[in-house]
Amino acid sequence: MQAVKILVALLALEIAVFSFTGANFLSSGNAAEILRLSVELGLLAVATTLVIITGGIDLSVGSLMSLCAVVMGALWKDAGWPLETSILAGLLTGVVGGYMNGFLITRFRQLPLIVTLGTFSLFRGVAEGLTAAVKNYTGFPPNFLSLGQGYLFGAIPMQALVFIPVVLLFWVLLHRTGIGRSLRAIGYAEPAARYAGIPVELRLRLVYTLSGLAAGIAAMIYVAHIGQAKSDAGTGFELMAITAAVLGGTSIFGGKGTVHGTLLGLAAIVILQNGLRLSGQPTELAGILTGLMLIVSIGLEQRPGMSRVVLAVGAMALALLIGFNGRAVKTGPEKRLQVGMMPKAKGDPYFISCRKGAEEAAKELNIDLIWDGPTDLDPAKQNEVVEAWITHGVDVIAVSVESSASISTVLRKARAKGIKILTWDADAEPDARDFLIDQATAQGIGYAVTDQTAAILNGKGEFAVVTGSLSAANQNEWIKHMRVRLSEKYPDMKLVTIRPSDSDRDRAFAETQTILKVYPNVKAIAAISAPAVPGAAEAVKQSARKDVKVTGLSLPSMCKTYIHDGVIRSIVLWNTHDLGYLTIQAADALMKGKLVDGFNAGSLGPHAVRGDHVMLGEPYVFDISNVDKFEF
Amino acid sequence: MQLVQASAISKSYAGTQALKNVSFTLEQGQVHALIGENGAGKSTLIKIITGAIAADQGTISICGNAVGQTTPALMKSLGVAAIYQQPSLFGDLTVTENIALAVEDRSMLGRVDWAKRRQWAKELLDRLGARIDPDQEASSLSMPQQQMVEIAKAIGGEARIFVMDEPTASLSDTEVDHLFRVIGELRTKGAGVIYISHRLDELSRIADQISVLRDGESIASRPMKEVDRAELVKLMVGRDVSAIFPKQKVPIGETVLRLRDVGNVGSGIRRVDLEVRAGEIVGLAGLVGSGRTELANILFGLTPATSGSIALRGKAALIDSPQAAISAGIGYVPEDRRHHGLVQSMSVTENTTLATLGAGLLDFGAERQIATEFASKLGTKTASVDVAAATLSGGNQQKVVLSRWLATKPKLLILDEPTQGIDVGSKSEVHALMVQMARDGMAILMISSELPEILGMSDRIAVMCQGTIAGVLDRAEATQESVMHLAFPVLPKTRGVA
Amino acid sequence: MKSRELAAGVVLGAILLILLFVAPAFFAPDNLRDLLLNSAGVMLVALGMTLVIVAGHIDISVGSQFAAASIAAGLLSKAGLPMPLVGLLVLGLGALLGAANGLLIGRLKIPSIVVTLATMIILRDLLRWTTEGAWVQNLPVGFQWAGLGQTAGSVLILVKILVAILLVAWCLRNLSAGRQLFATGSNPDAAVLAGIRTNAVVTGVFVIMGILSAAAAMLNAIRFSEVPGNPGAGLELKAIAAVVVGGASITGGRGTVGGTVLGVLLLSVIGSALTYLGINPYWEKAVQGVILLAAAASEAVRQSRGLKGAYASR
Repeated sequence: MQAVKILVALLALEIAVFSFTGANFLSSGNAAEILRLSVELGLLAVATTLVIITGGIDLSVGSLMSLCAVVMGALWKDAGWPLETSILAGLLTGVVGGYMNGFLITRFRQLPLIVTLGTFSLFRGVAEGLTAAVKNYTGFPPNFLSLGQGYLFGAIPMQALVFIPVVLLFWVLLHRTGIGRSLRAIGYAEPAARYAGIPVELRLRLVYTLSGLAAGIAAMIYVAHIGQAKSDAGTGFELMAITAAVLGGTSIFGGKGTVHGTLLGLAAIVILQNGLRLSGQPTELAGILTGLMLIVSIGLEQRPGMSRVVLAVGAMALALLIGFNGRAVKTGPEKRLQVGMMPKAKGDPYFISCRKGAEEAAKELNIDLIWDGPTDLDPAKQNEVVEAWITHGVDVIAVSVESSASISTVLRKARAKGIKILTWDADAEPDARDFLIDQATAQGIGYAVTDQTAAILNGKGEFAVVTGSLSAANQNEWIKHMRVRLSEKYPDMKLVTIRPSDSDRDRAFAETQTILKVYPNVKAIAAISAPAVPGAAEAVKQSARKDVKVTGLSLPSMCKTYIHDGVIRSIVLWNTHDLGYLTIQAADALMKGKLVDGFNAGSLGPHAVRGDHVMLGEPYVFDISNVDKFEF
Repeated sequence: MQLVQASAISKSYAGTQALKNVSFTLEQGQVHALIGENGAGKSTLIKIITGAIAADQGTISICGNAVGQTTPALMKSLGVAAIYQQPSLFGDLTVTENIALAVEDRSMLGRVDWAKRRQWAKELLDRLGARIDPDQEASSLSMPQQQMVEIAKAIGGEARIFVMDEPTASLSDTEVDHLFRVIGELRTKGAGVIYISHRLDELSRIADQISVLRDGESIASRPMKEVDRAELVKLMVGRDVSAIFPKQKVPIGETVLRLRDVGNVGSGIRRVDLEVRAGEIVGLAGLVGSGRTELANILFGLTPATSGSIALRGKAALIDSPQAAISAGIGYVPEDRRHHGLVQSMSVTENTTLATLGAGLLDFGAERQIATEFASKLGTKTASVDVAAATLSGGNQQKVVLSRWLATKPKLLILDEPTQGIDVGSKSEVHALMVQMARDGMAILMISSELPEILGMSDRIAVMCQGTIAGVLDRAEATQESVMHLAFPVLPKTRGVA
Repeated sequence: MKSRELAAGVVLGAILLILLFVAPAFFAPDNLRDLLLNSAGVMLVALGMTLVIVAGHIDISVGSQFAAASIAAGLLSKAGLPMPLVGLLVLGLGALLGAANGLLIGRLKIPSIVVTLATMIILRDLLRWTTEGAWVQNLPVGFQWAGLGQTAGSVLILVKILVAILLVAWCLRNLSAGRQLFATGSNPDAAVLAGIRTNAVVTGVFVIMGILSAAAAMLNAIRFSEVPGNPGAGLELKAIAAVVVGGASITGGRGTVGGTVLGVLLLSVIGSALTYLGINPYWEKAVQGVILLAAAASEAVRQSRGLKGAYASR
């Protein structure tokens, strides 16, 4: 009870603060978006509440989501099953996965933490194995997609139709039935429950099966929501679900907890993210504040005496922090053009350098630039940000698209509301945007990288590719064009293996070490993800193999030293700084109705527009002769 | 010299006054017994002396020096060692380590001398006459063995003040003899022992002084020689307990339970034949470790029988789970009330209906009604049926457990140590309830380690020894001697069978 | 008693044996050295995690601690501090982060899974907020390999890890604090009654965990000439998995350094072994999951766990 009270107070505080700082925070449209954002996580959190009440934990739900999504996608697309049957199979996968957890836990009397840590790895591993982590199932029919993207009576998100009944069922199960009571008894004192004749094993299997089913339902809604089924679905959801439940007063020791408490906890997290976004605040603050809320609310339960003081101090701190910062955004000339610009991942050095160019242009043109996006590659997050910008009411949205299938619906919605849409770096479906800022075609990139590799090998021999993640759409596109180029122009060159790096330097390093040993004839490495190139180069350097050279797509600043060392022969890239700069210039011209061929792009001068493509220019080759001239 | 001088101690928990202005003195070379009903404040007093909790008011002096902030570490360094009712060993560690951790000095960066530790452990165990391998993991020890390790821990250090809370609860007579011999040695060396026990017979063997607590107040403190049993009971209860065992004769009906050749390999039960009839109370006697609780666990489906047959009211029954046992009309009040009997954090109502829940929708009103009904029928003293079971005293908790099983309308009720650790007043109330239940036609199987209770309450007495029934005695022919004769193995074998 | 460690050892041995016949190139000294160096980070973190788990707790903030320490190492070195001082300061930072966890857990008695879940999120997002994912680049030459060059540098790293392993193992067995740690994890209530200052033990363990996370970050970072923006994601679960495969009991009270070392080696050999055996590396996670589950299932039911409740998570 204590926890719920604290939470309600926090929630009220959040709403009070954000209704001042957030643009259109208090609107029915925003409420609908908050609900939509909560559904997948909410399903997992509610089911996980039951698990935690029995004294257990389920770390596998996020991974199970990906397995359900992939099974559904594969059966529908590859095996040609009807969609309805595939969905049922996806849900069944969840049930089976959940039951497997319950079975392993009860049969071997093992701790849920260990078992679900194992299946956490296993489920995603199978999903990745089945699809080789590459396949991305898209093209679902509109009536299915509307489940995740459509509206009921034009206002209520469709998934509420599933979410609300499921939550109600869970509520009744936990709070109004003998089963719910017995779950609490098991959580408080499992031996006592056993001595009272409660079928402990049966109940636990039920709870984990329900958790699996919830993951299955969440997976189906997630696929409908973002329009694709891929093995990266649901990453990290398990910890967020647990956070929501614990914040909502569920005791990690078992016994205590409520479904409504969990919903409040979830609301506190989601509203925080949404409100910060609408207040133009960095969304990282949401994580920081969520963590603090978690500690404070649980800490208060342990030391109830301090509650009022801490709450008061915390409230003031939060209000000051957000209110003060929020004002800074809101002041200034009223009629400035507002552009929301989104990278695929904020932390990627590539996008950081694009941002610099964009900021430069925004300053020149006196544009209010909002730079926001997922911290890691995450198509669902991209949708979330666009939704927030629609609510916020920006003039132009410019997106570097992670998943075209996923984001196009939201972009169309934004267009319908009169917001101009640009895509840059990677495209959405053509009717979902006004213009594409085209830095270079996939063909141009694929060919250029192949040519550079050929230059290393003198047109003959074996090479390997280190990619970002095998699931990245544009990287797969590049590889496709590389293969075309090979067969057309370099029949004597052989691509022996493609290794993933998760866009992680250390992983690229280890993968390259393995390549060098397993494939001793490989003389060239083509790394096509920015952090992968220095990773591969370092591995080659440390192996002391003078006969192997690296090339690929990366930033000059990350590769400079290796280029000087001679490990990297050359890298291919366009001028990322200019890409950001051009995007903002195009946004300005678009709003002024001047985005035509030969429009004036500030310091870049007149620029070509071909149809609805704004052309940046040809890809650049950086090598020892010119690399020091570039700052990015 | 006064080893412990506790003056005017008061302590209250969440509104209830556990100790009111209690004073207590332990002299050098003294075994000072502390008795009282459950909830009288004994545990609170010794927890204050061992530093586990702090008093609200009053002072504690050890050897004449007043102690301010009490913590377990500080009191330990002042020479206080404690043996608690429930063994509190480190299950994952060896016997040697368990003993060493209690005996060693506490500096974190000190070196561990494994050879010395092992030597210590061996010597201490030998001194207690306990045959325990010092390299064994504590979790693999039997309950009496664990208790012996606890005792070894306490006597191993430099302690001069020993607090023993029901140390003999799970010990056999031989082990008790060893313990008493050691207590005697400690006394001669000038140490003092605070000794808590419900077994009044024991006290006359070892206690020098006896203090009685009642409702948190100190009632009397006298030399042991000057008091007799009846007076002690009177002091504890504050009234005369006229009829200690209210056993009445009721008509015996059909055979409810019939066991033929029942056994379970894992728990060491073999070839058990037994019958219990409606209206009959069958006492199950035997030494600790003779398999009484294990047999109960078979009957309740916790460890299903691996051989033999069980018939209920003439029909063969397959009891492979507690659920099967309940639907066959069996109820079970387990020995460990705290961990097995009750869900401490749940309310009286929730505990009462726990065995009759089902899976469907709950009817809160009806549940409450059932709980209230049973509370008044059994005379359960509770602020309300909505408070957590943990807030009730031991006797009242036991009544909640009984309510739960009465709510299932059982044909056979198994009671494992139904009055262990509850005060004298509640004890006779529970006995009266048993008589009432028998009169209503219920068959009762009662496990007890207290011979007077067995003799006083049973129509027939089945005595277990080494996993099987050594013999069944009628009420008329049973005496302490005849029961004990059956309880001991025929050949003098090594004790401490796990 | 040591069955799980044995199991981990047997499986590891079996994999190595298969490799010996199918892909002897796996045993090239270079490959073994690289394998060890690449698992250096996980090894040190898992070493600390062993202590945390023996104490009956868990720490899922280690990945974030690792990230903070990596970036701190880069920034301090870039500021021109000499490497030994950088190392010292980074370890100090680790100790500080660990102490924050330790105090919240030891003093305020908030469950460790909740505290470290919170500090994981806080720390990670704090880093993202302040660095915006930027790499620490243009580090002084003395940063990589601590200025010792590749050969001496890798020897230095391996030696330091070996020293850390032996030191922790020795202390666990021979220092009073080590035994108190086992006692605290095995039965916290009894430990208090035995006069052990369990608060101090628990806080201390989290401080050591923080130091080891920082050391892992430091030793990992100096293998490269730049520090990436957001390293160490997912490290916590890798370390926990290795400790569990190595035979430690997640309820506390048991676990050995030797088992953990085997666990780390087993899980990190898998990926490389799959490649050498010509199996699609995308099955790596699945195989690791199966190993973890098998390790868990292979352990015989311990009756004594009954009182703690067989299914309670913490």
